[in-house]
Amino acid sequence: MARRYDSRTTIFSPEGRLYQIEYAMEAISHAGTVLGILAKDGVVLAAEKRVTGKLLDLSGAKEGGYGGSGEKIFLLNSNVIGGVAGLTADANSLVNYARTAAQRHLFSYNEDIPVEQLAQRLCDMKQGYTQYGGLRPFGVSLLYAGYDVHHQFQLYHSDPSGNYSGWKATCIGANNGTAQSLLKQEYKDEITVAEAVGLAVRVMGKTMDSTTLGSEKLEFAVLTLDANTKQPHAKIYKPAEVDALLSEQGLAKKEEDTEMKTA
Amino acid sequence: MSIMELNGGSVVAMVGKNCVAIASDMRLGNQALTVATNFEKIFPVTERIYLGMAGLATDVATLRERFRFRVNMYTIKEEREIEPETFAHLVSSTLYERRFGPYFIEPVVAGLTSPSKGSQPFIAAADVIGCLNFAKDFVVCGTASPELFGIAEGLWEPDLEPEELFETISQTLMNAIDRDAFSGWGAVVHVITPEKVITRTLKGRMD
Repeated sequence: MARRYDSRTTIFSPEGRLYQIEYAMEAISHAGTVLGILAKDGVVLAAEKRVTGKLLDLSGAKEGGYGGSGEKIFLLNSNVIGGVAGLTADANSLVNYARTAAQRHLFSYNEDIPVEQLAQRLCDMKQGYTQYGGLRPFGVSLLYAGYDVHHQFQLYHSDPSGNYSGWKATCIGANNGTAQSLLKQEYKDEITVAEAVGLAVRVMGKTMDSTTLGSEKLEFAVLTLDANTKQPHAKIYKPAEVDALLSEQGLAKKEEDTEMKTA
Repeated sequence: MSIMELNGGSVVAMVGKNCVAIASDMRLGNQALTVATNFEKIFPVTERIYLGMAGLATDVATLRERFRFRVNMYTIKEEREIEPETFAHLVSSTLYERRFGPYFIEPVVAGLTSPSKGSQPFIAAADVIGCLNFAKDFVVCGTASPELFGIAEGLWEPDLEPEELFETISQTLMNAIDRDAFSGWGAVVHVITPEKVITRTLKGRMD
């Protein structure tokens, strides 16, 4: 019955649904988990990598200027970090768009783009793909962890429909239901970044497919405010730093082979 | 009067021993009237690369913002800082994009390559449509460029230490802008070494 209304994204079904968008969200539910937690002095993002394996060439990531970002967590601007779940190619395209949008704002107004506006730009574009053009929607959900002078630390989530909302803690991708309920139980309003980091790592450990955590499977990022300059400081952890963090939290894993999966 | 002489101003850059220096005057004018004496024409692109631009002031400001845009995108995507020579080519292609309606500026790039490439000194200049000049000694631009050419040719010698380079470039600039009606009202000199950048403000004839 649904088949007749699948072929065009721009057509409603008789029940008033847009199937292409729902199918896009279905694709995302199979992707690696990304979770974000808002603390009073920062925002934390953690993500499960799905593209792993011995043959993967990660030599660039080890010394990379901003640390192993590349599959799930990206620097969008000096004041915003993005986490993606879904079709990697679509995600790369959206990340590029976000980076350009942030620079366009900087060019016009000579100030960092407010986090919500960046989310809006992307959402306006994503919504366009659900209403005109006859093109399929982006199969990506994003988490935006950012800081601006207007509303300080913020965490937003946007989905293929072009809808977005602000969160204190949220999760996208596989097992997001489990992670979300864990976060609901354990999240407290005045949580600090240090506590949020611990919480993120614990929740990831419970929701990830692999039984023990390690830097090949986990990406991690934190956005804080530099105490001296009062400027936002984005840190995407390098693999060695992820391992160090896990050791600190008492969740380090031993060396083992991992199978490659598609994201 | 040419459009390049509306606001006035000059920039010079020189190569030293494991260092570079770049200097400019501070005048912003409207033909003969001086409007500002704190108009900086040299901007940091990265910690090790500085860009100076002489010519129409609105284009100096706009291009400074356009290059910030492009260098930010480069840095975020490449996850490393841009090299001076690469940046010079970025300047060249940005200017050539406007081949038939150009920005009225002459840029000067001065910097050091990254530590992994040996922190080598680098300077370059271009014309309004992006023709690059990779000099080994010095580059000049602006309303006092004829004067700058002559004095630099006389004073410059290779392998000057940072302190000596500062003296040489300062004398070159100060005496050149004294001879030019459209440049002057103070000067700024940046000396870039692998460890740090030393910025000094000079006071000369304030006319």
